[in-house]
Amino acid sequence: MDVITGWWDDFFWGSVVVVEVFVVALIMTVLFGLIGAAAKLSRSRVAKYIASGYTVVFRGTPEILILLLVYFGSAVALTAVSQTFDPEVKFTDIPPFWAGAFAIALIVGSYATETFRGAFLGVDPGQIEAARALGLSSLQTLVYVRIPAMWRLALPPFGNHMLSLIKDTALIAIIGLQETLFVAEQAIGTTGKPFTMYILVGVIYLGFSTIITLTVMVLERYANRHLEAAR
Amino acid sequence: MIIDIPLIIDSIPKMLMGFGLTIQLLFLSGVLGLVLAIVLLLMRISGRWYLAAPTMVYIYVFRGTPILVQIFIVYHGLPQLEFVRESIFWPILREPFGCAIVALTLNTGAYVSEILRGGVLGVDRGLKEAASALGLSARHRFIYITTPIAIRLALPAYSNDVISLLKSTALASTITLLDMMGIARNIVAATYAPYEVFVSLMVIYLVLTWMIQRSFGLIEGRMSRYVKEQA
Amino acid sequence: MSGNGQQPIIVLEDVCKFFGDFQALKNVNLTVKKGERVVVCGPSGSGKSTMIRCINRLEEHDSGRIIVDGRELTGKIKDINAVRREVGMVFQSFNLFPHLSVIQNLMLAPKLVRKKSKAEARERAMHLLERVRIPEQADKWPSQLSGGQQQRVAIARALCMNPEVMLFDEPTSALDPEMISEVLDVMVDLAEDGMTMIVVTHEMGFARKVADLVVFMDGGEIVESNPPDEFFEAPKSERTKRFLSQILSH
Repeated sequence: MDVITGWWDDFFWGSVVVVEVFVVALIMTVLFGLIGAAAKLSRSRVAKYIASGYTVVFRGTPEILILLLVYFGSAVALTAVSQTFDPEVKFTDIPPFWAGAFAIALIVGSYATETFRGAFLGVDPGQIEAARALGLSSLQTLVYVRIPAMWRLALPPFGNHMLSLIKDTALIAIIGLQETLFVAEQAIGTTGKPFTMYILVGVIYLGFSTIITLTVMVLERYANRHLEAAR
Repeated sequence: MIIDIPLIIDSIPKMLMGFGLTIQLLFLSGVLGLVLAIVLLLMRISGRWYLAAPTMVYIYVFRGTPILVQIFIVYHGLPQLEFVRESIFWPILREPFGCAIVALTLNTGAYVSEILRGGVLGVDRGLKEAASALGLSARHRFIYITTPIAIRLALPAYSNDVISLLKSTALASTITLLDMMGIARNIVAATYAPYEVFVSLMVIYLVLTWMIQRSFGLIEGRMSRYVKEQA
Repeated sequence: MSGNGQQPIIVLEDVCKFFGDFQALKNVNLTVKKGERVVVCGPSGSGKSTMIRCINRLEEHDSGRIIVDGRELTGKIKDINAVRREVGMVFQSFNLFPHLSVIQNLMLAPKLVRKKSKAEARERAMHLLERVRIPEQADKWPSQLSGGQQQRVAIARALCMNPEVMLFDEPTSALDPEMISEVLDVMVDLAEDGMTMIVVTHEMGFARKVADLVVFMDGGEIVESNPPDEFFEAPKSERTKRFLSQILSH
């Protein structure tokens, strides 16, 4: 166990990076999910087509492939562009942090699209009718009736999306992001203890998963408190 | 930017040489994982805490940590432990293929057992009561009533997991295995042409995914022939 | 019309049942003789379903004794299974096995529990399907049948086990009005053939026609139990009178 001393703060900062990537990717995921769901629910055939393409492609392709494609693809494009300005440039890339966050947000966003779409369709039409009968405008119906109902329905599956997101951050180590897995590789280089180090990484991720799961549980309880009162 | 068509035509057969390995990884882990999942399920619903508790911990750990980390622990980490090197399993665990199978099996087993459990819990209580009232023993109830219905209920979620498993096989490329992903990465490293190679590979995976979905769709259709069409 | 033997086939003695703090059954005493037809009525939550579900141990009573056909119901699996072989139950929501055809639904328990051969089970099943007047539905899926037909299949399924007693838990409450009579007709036939039955229902016409005893339950207790003439013409308790006026006023 004492092999880890000296590495504690590296792992700590690695964990901080995980959290940072997670937060950034989460925001993008929600965005992609909402846009995708809106497109699928819209009347435009083109929008539906594109959104379907999005969900099919990103749910059917290995995450690592998407990650490498986004990172190296953007790097190749960027390098070519910068070489027109400065022929000396060998290689420019989008920092692994942003390329990685973007890639995993695209992936989980495709699942979130289905979740948000399902949640939207799951709202009891009777409630919408009642709102309209009472004279509420479309916007008011959206804000006061639809959205409160939707996020309650979306919460359990979205909790799973968040778990996927945090686990996918480990993949970004492959393109050089200095999060915990990357730190572990360096630690193994000097200590020669791969089992210990990788188990530590596992424990760190398990900790993050637990925090997310507990948070979702608390949110679910809050979301359903109006049902509890009826008992 | 011109697309290098000859490269695509050249790369696809090369990547398809890894197809056999991909399929082996998928089938072997899939079948072994299913067996493991059934064992875990029976332990989980046995009602005996000394069987259910370890199972719950196992599932929690394997669903809460990234599969990449699990693969690294098995392949890079286990050799650190002396008792592993001296055990009968060493020949399997020494090889990257064996390690990949072990890690994928352990991982998918955890997810599938929860899916099966969802199916079992989804069987209407009234049906089990009717079976009890007719005098069927608990064993008979489970075999003739719960199991057929649980399988039908679990099928959609299970098909999703099979697709996830397919995507996870691509991670075997991180431990030197030359499945389709592994070969693709080599080609890209040599040619600096991520778009052509990775996008072609993406298409291959999408075709595979589509085939899996179609197969399950047919199975689901057959199994649901007694379910009334929702008017 | 009255019981054709004096032996009690079901005895409930001071039976109590709690759900957490809530007492669902309060010292229930009931004796049902062989061949007797008992109708149990009462407002929702009065404990009527709980009571009959205790008889085949779908619920466990907390105190008191339940004796079925000479066998006392305890926690022992052997006793429970023996009782369930002799006691048939029909549920409000039919509970037909959706993944088995109608005839397979009927044949399953006799083959597994009574160890009948496939041929024997099928013969008995077809005979009973004729008795409930739907032999042509034998190979259909339950989901293809109407509610009334499904419930008749459920009755036939219970009868395939040759029970001594039939329990009915609000058998027509989930049916559309036009299907209620086809099920009640089957139940009347069964009664006239001498089957011992306990029926929880709101169908008072059925009670008047067929019952030997009408039991009124309220708040977990048996408030009144009398032959139908007395019960309907001269109810003794205030609660009974109030209940009757509520349900008979439509």
